Amino acid sequence: MKKIININFYSRVIPIEETAYEILQQYVDSLRRYFANEEGRDEIISDIENRFSELFDQKLKKGAACITDADVNAIIASMGRPEEFAGEPEQPRASASAGAAGSAAGASGAGGGQQQSYAPHAAEEPRRLFRAANDKVLGGVCAGLANYLKLDPVIVRILFVLITLTWGFGLLLYFVLWIVLPTKSLATSARKRLYRNPDDRVIAGVASGIAAYFHIEVWIPRLIFALPLIVGIFTSVFRNIWWHFFNWGGHIFFDGFGGSLVVAYIVLWIVIPEATTASEKLEMRGEKIDLESIKNTVKSDLETFKGRAKEMGTEMGESFKNMGQQMGTQIRQNVQTFSAEASGAARRHGTGIGHAIGVLFKAFFLCIAGLIAFGLIMGLVGLALSGGGLLDLKSYVLDGFWEDILAWASFILVLVIPVIALLTWLIRRITGMRSKRHYLGYVFATLWIIGLISFVILAGMVINNFRARAHSEEQFALVQPSTGNLVVKARQMVHRDYYDQEDWWFGNEWRRGWRRNDFFYTLNADSIQLNTVQIKVLRSDDSAYHVRILRGSLGGSSNSALDRARQISFPVTQTDSVLQLPAGFTINREQKFRNQQVIVVVYIPVGKKILLDNSVGRYDWFNVNVGRSHINWEDGRNDYSSEYDDEGFSLENNFYWNSGIQYIMTADGLKPVNGMGKYGERPERPENPERPERKEKKEAPEKSAQPEKSGKSGQPANGSYRYKAPAPKRDADTPVPKSSTMVVLPRPSVATPHKVVAAPHPSPFVLLSSMFI
Amino acid sequence: MNIENTQSQMRKGILEFCILSVIRRGEAYPSDIVEEMKAANLNILEGTLYPLLTRLKNAEMLTYRWVESNSGPPRKYFSLTPKGEEFYGELQATWNELTNAVQALTQKNGTF
Repeated sequence: MKKIININFYSRVIPIEETAYEILQQYVDSLRRYFANEEGRDEIISDIENRFSELFDQKLKKGAACITDADVNAIIASMGRPEEFAGEPEQPRASASAGAAGSAAGASGAGGGQQQSYAPHAAEEPRRLFRAANDKVLGGVCAGLANYLKLDPVIVRILFVLITLTWGFGLLLYFVLWIVLPTKSLATSARKRLYRNPDDRVIAGVASGIAAYFHIEVWIPRLIFALPLIVGIFTSVFRNIWWHFFNWGGHIFFDGFGGSLVVAYIVLWIVIPEATTASEKLEMRGEKIDLESIKNTVKSDLETFKGRAKEMGTEMGESFKNMGQQMGTQIRQNVQTFSAEASGAARRHGTGIGHAIGVLFKAFFLCIAGLIAFGLIMGLVGLALSGGGLLDLKSYVLDGFWEDILAWASFILVLVIPVIALLTWLIRRITGMRSKRHYLGYVFATLWIIGLISFVILAGMVINNFRARAHSEEQFALVQPSTGNLVVKARQMVHRDYYDQEDWWFGNEWRRGWRRNDFFYTLNADSIQLNTVQIKVLRSDDSAYHVRILRGSLGGSSNSALDRARQISFPVTQTDSVLQLPAGFTINREQKFRNQQVIVVVYIPVGKKILLDNSVGRYDWFNVNVGRSHINWEDGRNDYSSEYDDEGFSLENNFYWNSGIQYIMTADGLKPVNGMGKYGERPERPENPERPERKEKKEAPEKSAQPEKSGKSGQPANGSYRYKAPAPKRDADTPVPKSSTMVVLPRPSVATPHKVVAAPHPSPFVLLSSMFI
Repeated sequence: MNIENTQSQMRKGILEFCILSVIRRGEAYPSDIVEEMKAANLNILEGTLYPLLTRLKNAEMLTYRWVESNSGPPRKYFSLTPKGEEFYGELQATWNELTNAVQALTQKNGTF
């Protein structure tokens, strides 16, 4: 059962089978091509068509219901196919092929000069090397060489590029040839040429063009291009994380090879032309070019196009369907006409420098898009891997049902949707499916925007919760230490190694780094321990030690902030001259994380000493700065003037200290008590700073004074915690000690039992943002 | 050497002459021309004829007129112009020359 269409053919309406019509069309087009340069071409064709119409009319009058394939073929047989025409067209273009059917005379799309067995000008002068005037990207050198060697110019170009890249003299050779060779308008002489296949492309059809040329399956060259790159990317990512597993040296192969294949792909993209016309597509496959094969190619093109048109049509209804089909055939007609007409002229508009530059731009943008996509995917993977841990933290930041929902919504919509969209696009491209409806893109975009909006709303809500500040303070009833030296110690944190079960997943050094980087210590079911504690050393106004404990928090309102501040439990005890601070404080899910902080202010009278133990190095201070400023500790001084430090304490009597060093308070400030014999010498201390006997040894023997080096000894590589206040530098060369003890060099800090990885302080903002997930 | 090529060359050579002689006898319509030539055992394809006729017309050897018919589209009827007559005359002279020459040559072979 075949579809019938009605055509208006020389003012008669002829019902004709659709397939018959196509045959007729192709015949007419082949005629057009054959007579492309003929002067009276249109007239000839119209005569022939007229004849067809007459014969159709006769058939219909004889009682046929419509014109069938057989009818059309019969008429064409009697009319004769172009290659059978005895009359020679005016130009000596398609040479003596009359009567010899099957050779490619009619298909002028292959460019002139098909070698015929009986070409009148077969006896040429010996072949000389020219530059091609009509087929050049730069100077036509490669095309000329190709013509001389009877190769595809594309192959010669590729060879040239390869030679240039590997040995370098290719460029010089090219320029020499460019200058030396004369130009001539050359015909291409290769039957089978390497093209890019535009019908079956993921990126640019390079792989499928190569597949068609070598008659292999399409996925083989695609795999060759893609595999080293993908494997290289993944192994390099994994190698950075788990390098003992992946450090097997194979990455050289994958990284280097993958990268060079990308470059090769881009080069091929530039150099290989696209097969646009039907005859070019046939050339791509190396098939014989004659009317039959062109017909088949065009037919298959038409089938795919019709298929798509059909899909469009069934959706949009009958009228549209007809219009689509007519448009389709019309467009096909036009394309074929154009290709026939363009065949005489320079064949490719796709060559030239402009094309090369265009390709480079396209490739560049593709790379950027690929990187973005890759980043998104990796981000998701990272979140997936670490999400379990962070999920718990979420409940500390988010308060309330709505925030939770918004958080999930924004996470899924903003991150997951682009990945889904990308995957869909990739799959569609690879399997060659066309999307029937384009609404999917809009749906994705809308969802993503909703996700973005909800993220913004969520951010606003959360920030609101961090807006107000409050702190409470109390005085600690300090017993004056009998020894005149106050030692400040912090308790060791007992780690619940909750990450142990993942120990095999991360390497050893990772675990150690993790431990150091953490801003919180333990995480059990309901609470986390923070160690956002700071110790400030001030000079006392009187002759007694004082200790103040300030606890602060943020919150949605001042009251809630104050409540939270008061809830911080930071019990400080004193045993003789040791002020024992807890390792940190706990907050639970009810209280939420609101950047709770504790400041311990120690006032030292002049002439008394203080030693801050290395254990206070565990404290990890950070501020969550929302809006204007952080917690306002002292009398509203947060104007960032240089007289006050970050917490509003006056810098006048607020001093910089290093842990593990005993200081004495002078009228000018803290000065280290103990010198050292030589630079680098360390006092004897037991390994474990926790052992009680250490208390005695802390008062290290006084040594003779040495000319001081700068008070800041650079970043101590181990152990001591440096108080990060902007402080005026203690000028190390102050000669005269004002008190009874001597002024000495600061000692480099004691080695602690743990080998500490000097981990960078985690930026609060990074942590904050990770809390949002 | 392909014999078919030579043969078709031979045919091609005399094609114009034959067509002109058919038209000379009277106004002719392309498919009629084909019929006549077939009857004379010279098979020619319509597709060969049309371009030839058009070329001749463009060279002003032929002229045509449209004849309406109720059974089919209007047809072109070709006829010879005076210039065409001249042309034909010369062609005929050439033809005679050729036949004489060929005859002379082939008779010597003893085959004819």
